[in-house]
Amino acid sequence: MSSKMSRRKFLKVVAGSGAVGFGVMAAGCKGKPSGAEGWIPDQYQSKGDFPVNLKGRVAISATNPSIERDDEKCILCGQCVEACKNVMGVYGNYPLPLKSEIACVNCGQCVMWCPSGAITEKRNIDQVLAAIDDDTKHVVVQTAPATKVSLGEEFGMEPGTSVGKKMAGALKEAGFDAVFDTCFSADLTIMEEASEFVHRLTAAKDEIPHLTSCCPGWVKYCEYFYPELMHNLSTCKSPQNMMGATIKSFYADKMGIKPENIVNVSIMPCTAKKFEVAREELEVDGNRDMDYVLTTRELAVLLKRKGIDLNTVPEREYDSVLGESTGAGKIFGATGGVTEAAVRSAYFFATGSNPPADLLSWQPVRGMTAVKEATASIPGVGTVNIAVCHGLENARKLLDGIKASGSSKWQFIEFMACPGGCIGGGGQPKSTVAAQNSAKLKRIEAIYKEDTGSEKRCSHDNTEIQSVYKEFYGKPLSEKAEKYLHTTFVNRHDRLFD
Amino acid sequence: MAVLVDITKCIGCEGCSVACKMYNGLDFKAKPRNIKDGQVELDDNRWTVIQEFHPEDGKLRFVKKQCLHCLEPACASACFSKAIQKDEKTGAVVYYPDLCVGCRYCLVACPYSIPKYQWEEQFPQVAKCQMCEARVEKGDAPACVSACTTGALISGDRDELIKKAHEIINSDSRYVNHVYGEHEVGGSQWLYISDVPFEELGFKQVSETPVTSYTKSYMSKVPGFAAAWALFLAGLSYYNHRVEKNKKQDDDKQDKEG
Repeated sequence: MSSKMSRRKFLKVVAGSGAVGFGVMAAGCKGKPSGAEGWIPDQYQSKGDFPVNLKGRVAISATNPSIERDDEKCILCGQCVEACKNVMGVYGNYPLPLKSEIACVNCGQCVMWCPSGAITEKRNIDQVLAAIDDDTKHVVVQTAPATKVSLGEEFGMEPGTSVGKKMAGALKEAGFDAVFDTCFSADLTIMEEASEFVHRLTAAKDEIPHLTSCCPGWVKYCEYFYPELMHNLSTCKSPQNMMGATIKSFYADKMGIKPENIVNVSIMPCTAKKFEVAREELEVDGNRDMDYVLTTRELAVLLKRKGIDLNTVPEREYDSVLGESTGAGKIFGATGGVTEAAVRSAYFFATGSNPPADLLSWQPVRGMTAVKEATASIPGVGTVNIAVCHGLENARKLLDGIKASGSSKWQFIEFMACPGGCIGGGGQPKSTVAAQNSAKLKRIEAIYKEDTGSEKRCSHDNTEIQSVYKEFYGKPLSEKAEKYLHTTFVNRHDRLFD
Repeated sequence: MAVLVDITKCIGCEGCSVACKMYNGLDFKAKPRNIKDGQVELDDNRWTVIQEFHPEDGKLRFVKKQCLHCLEPACASACFSKAIQKDEKTGAVVYYPDLCVGCRYCLVACPYSIPKYQWEEQFPQVAKCQMCEARVEKGDAPACVSACTTGALISGDRDELIKKAHEIINSDSRYVNHVYGEHEVGGSQWLYISDVPFEELGFKQVSETPVTSYTKSYMSKVPGFAAAWALFLAGLSYYNHRVEKNKKQDDDKQDKEG
């Protein structure tokens, strides 16, 4: 441009626009305030006095070992609050102000209900892959019974497809050095727990009712809310940790591997297991029982990252020494399964003979009823009243009833935190509708089919279990078994209550 | 409109900060959390944050931090371009980016160090809680308040909330007998009650005198002074001109006579 602006003209323009700006401002024009350009769900478009309908979200501590949340995906729909409060009986069941920690039993039901995928498990995939790539480490993996009937769903199979052997094949292909079956250690748990139960029935009556302790969500719940019942909990470690302790002692000796060079990985349907493996008391002679837990969903991600398709992978058998399992160990994954398995072996320990056919297909403890009651008559011990409970809100009602009446009409109570037992665990493949039972029922069906299809139906018939006892533990509840297979509990009541 | 924060009821879910980001269209992952002295701090994409305190062993408290919306906002008084204004109807202290010249006087003026600046932007703006002024005007609660599940945040009329706060304090001996925000720097729309002394929860000890009152005595005289000064200069100019004019007339006369 050829026209030049004189200094005088420039100053006039600047001063003039300044004067216009001042005029606009002084006249009260202000434009739009910043913010308010986003979106918020409909339920918040109201006067926000508490309580409005469903809303908000649960608190998740940054130090939570099991679950985490991506704030960007959270839509504040309140489904997690629903699950935590109405299914698990945690949220809203402790007084405010908080004491020393955010209450969480790590069950992961909020993960299952979260419709936007904001809440997930805290992933350990990278650590496990690094351990596999580390040549100095002997990486041992175990698979929980409930994962065998659900992993297929992540690869497009129908719910209730049994993929145990395919999973073993896939894990071997992924580079794990040994693939063991948690059903084996479930049998081991039954050996210990049934013996313990028979002992309590006959000699330690103050520890009756006997409460199961293989569910880490339930155990933490008991420690939080019912510390007075902690001495009723079975002292048995969970099958996962029994396996871990056995691998780092018996198996390590047998193979001549140093326990510190073994990395124990488990495939679990559960997020609370990630909390459980970090519990201080779960180590023997300085060796942690377990190192990493992968949920069923994480395993699917790991396999896909490795390019392994479960549909095409060849079936393989679980490795020997800790790989054989009976029908009793397999049904651990369903609600009522632990009870049924324990009663089968308790019957044997009391009478010396295997239970009759009706106890091998014990319908009263099966199914999705909230609290199931059953009676077993065991010659020499008498009648045993049993309750099976799943979903911790149901557990709360049941235990409050016991507290109110002062005594329990049951001698044995099984608790599972998640609805349906482990097959409905917080680490399982997510279905489109969180609360629907159809997938859970199909998984349960598959588990019982595996049981009836098994050659051996009782834990004590497991030949590998017999040899572990013969070579290492001696007999159930022996000193060595107490050291490796039993644990203690931590009173967490004062972390939530005054 | 005011908000009462009951610190004893907060469980630290951070739903409020998510609601804030959602409603105000803020970027969730623009920057990592700004950690200062072990606490997440406000920044231009975090208009409200939840800070975690362990006042003593085995005690856990969460404190929501955002603009307190003072009754006599120092930021608004420091702003010469009126980009921060106190909304008379809602009580919200609102920022208008269109009027902002970017001087950042408000950042300096705020007794709580609340306003943040978009340092990385080419045309930066100030960022702070607006108390969801548009929602409040419609009668809705601010977004954070409506996302609170435990009742730690309650919105309502300021006088009623102060009354309620004192009722809560009087009915429960665990509470500290102090409503933070009732008198602090002249009072604010956001009020806090707690069972832990406020200084242990990162609350600033501020005087009860409004910041604006320090400058009010002479700043209020500025318009009069400016007018008087202008008048004085005008008079001086008029006098000068008159002297010159008379001199010129005298010269002309002499010329004619001469």
